[in-house]
Amino acid sequence: MSRFFFAVTLLIVVMLIVPTYLEACPACKTLDDPISKGFNFSILFMMAMPFAVFTVIGGTVFWHYRRANREPMD
Amino acid sequence: METQNHIDVRERPPLSNARLAILVLLGAETMLFSGLIGAFLVFRIGNVTWPPPSHIGIELPRIVTGINTALLLISGYTMFQAWRAIQKEKVKQLRNWLLITGVLGLLFLGIQGSEWVQLIRKGLTLQSGVYGGIFYVLIGCHAVHVLSAVIWVFTVLGMAIAGRFSAEQYTGVDTCTIYWVFVVALWPILYVLVYLT
Repeated sequence: MSRFFFAVTLLIVVMLIVPTYLEACPACKTLDDPISKGFNFSILFMMAMPFAVFTVIGGTVFWHYRRANREPMD
Repeated sequence: METQNHIDVRERPPLSNARLAILVLLGAETMLFSGLIGAFLVFRIGNVTWPPPSHIGIELPRIVTGINTALLLISGYTMFQAWRAIQKEKVKQLRNWLLITGVLGLLFLGIQGSEWVQLIRKGLTLQSGVYGGIFYVLIGCHAVHVLSAVIWVFTVLGMAIAGRFSAEQYTGVDTCTIYWVFVVALWPILYVLVYLT
């Protein structure tokens, strides 16, 4: 058990000492160089697209069904 | 006897299967181009100088491409007119508008092809770094879509000449129009991104 606590404590200490390694993530907003900005903007853009696509397709289907319900039956 | 009195009422769905299919296809196409635009944004924003220093002397033909953009936008209008014509049962007008649309699409591809030849002569190739690579992949992918749309338009024109469409039955024209409008609407975004920024 003491070995487990020692390993966890060591892990926490390592994480606290070397936090800069975590900034290797290209989406980290703290980085200010152009390539990080490029990645950030690109990731946000691509994240937004599925929502836009589903909204357009869902909106079109909804609009067609709503229009059909409003039209009087022949 | 009961079956004789039965009236077979087949309700037309509010959104046809063909329209739904083309919407799903365009959703997938949108994601494809989003990925390519995303890659372009990484290179564009990631580079302080654009074009990169290795391509400083190479200018993209903005004016000619601007005129080409206008041609493609006009083709969007002519395609819309073709769609309107078949709704009014005007088959002859449909054929004429489709022909004009197809010719405008071919003209767009021809002008773009000649631009590419000039750019390759100047040294901008697919292998000449990220600038050439992303340019040819992004613009080339759109050109392939325009080519497939042109083939589709001429196929629909052939069907129109054969008398396959009427005011009640024009699914082929409908789906082709949606695809064409997508291809036309996409181009100004690419033009502004790649040529003007």
